[in-house]
Amino acid sequence: MIFRTNQGFSPRVASRASWAAAILTAFAILAPAITAQTATPASAKTAAPAHKRAADTAAPGAPVKTIGNRNAPITMEVFSDYQCPSCGNFFENTLRPMIQDYVANGKVYLVHHDFPLQMHTYSGQAARWANAAGMIGQFQDVDAALFDNQAKWPVDGDIEKYVAGALSPANFKRVQGILKGCTAAPPTSKADRTAPQADPGCPVDPYIVQDIVLGYQVPVQATPTFIIHYKGQSYPASSGIITWPILKQFFDTLLSQ
Amino acid sequence: MTPNETRGSLAGTLLILGRLALAAIFLFAAYAKLKPQAAVPWSGSSIKTSLSLFAMQVDSYQLLPPQLVSPAAHFLPPFELFLGLWLLSGVLLRYASLITTLLLGAFFAVMVRTYMAGLEINCGCFGPGERLGPLTLLRDGSLLALALVVTIGAFLQGRKSRELSAPTAVTTPQRAD
Repeated sequence: MIFRTNQGFSPRVASRASWAAAILTAFAILAPAITAQTATPASAKTAAPAHKRAADTAAPGAPVKTIGNRNAPITMEVFSDYQCPSCGNFFENTLRPMIQDYVANGKVYLVHHDFPLQMHTYSGQAARWANAAGMIGQFQDVDAALFDNQAKWPVDGDIEKYVAGALSPANFKRVQGILKGCTAAPPTSKADRTAPQADPGCPVDPYIVQDIVLGYQVPVQATPTFIIHYKGQSYPASSGIITWPILKQFFDTLLSQ
Repeated sequence: MTPNETRGSLAGTLLILGRLALAAIFLFAAYAKLKPQAAVPWSGSSIKTSLSLFAMQVDSYQLLPPQLVSPAAHFLPPFELFLGLWLLSGVLLRYASLITTLLLGAFFAVMVRTYMAGLEINCGCFGPGERLGPLTLLRDGSLLALALVVTIGAFLQGRKSRELSAPTAVTTPQRAD
């Protein structure tokens, strides 16, 4: 037996165990404080949804990247990247059934925010297409087309083909027209949280930058990240893939209050 | 007091401290999950909402089927509260610390698996908003180690107490004839 003698704890072992326990106890007590800085940010509990704060400064002609009735009791803001696989999964398996059910029935108002990650080559460009479609009121179709074909367009960056497939020829020409001045690289979020650069000639870039800056404030640490607002209260941001039955259960709990 | 007794007493004191630290951590973990997650007062409804929000965190681990996520999320925080109170009481410490170690071991294994799988989710350990990362793994690994030390200490102390309280067997040599 290593840890005891007939006298109980062996002196040497007791001494070592004492020090080990002391160190572990100290760490265990301090641990929550150490990680407290990563806990719920104050900004996640702000009463006004981020899209409403953004709307205060938005210029006329801003892209409409929302789905559903603005007066729905629940507002859900999603920070997403069109090239992120988890975002695609979240859209197809959670947001799509949610849009068909709770958004269609006026229970949830869905707000999309772009948070293109620097590591994804084409996500910024995809965000440009979605924003341009949002400027002519066609966001929902293009948003769905980008996620539906997420495995295809990142192969060669030919996003245009899938946007064209989602819009009428006339609307596609309008969207193309909006993006014709976009020649520089699109804005993307930075790991060091510095403000992304907008192409001065690209009318949609300021809105993407605005979303990214909002994401920094949440703070968005991974995509997808979403925030739910109900009765003027904001619930802490969640990230990752949440299945529709579990999200629906949360909505039902809120609506039953 | 002999040096042996001093060391034994120190070990006993540290065992109490370790037990109280674990109790405080479990009570805080339960509180963080049950407290209102928005600026609303405590109520049955706020607890129900907090548990539903915690269910989303459990779901994000992509470990359980949806039908088991909700029962797990509704069981864990009250169980953590119970375990915290049990550790605080010190009653049957060996079993309380053993269950604590097993629970923390399970949490740690799930967290490591999730982190290795590259899922970028919230830990959910002390309520929402804390990202699962190296720091949370280090913290939970340390808690597991502490629980293990407390469990070993509790079993050793229990054995020592039994030996001290057992009547000394006096044997009289029997004559062969």
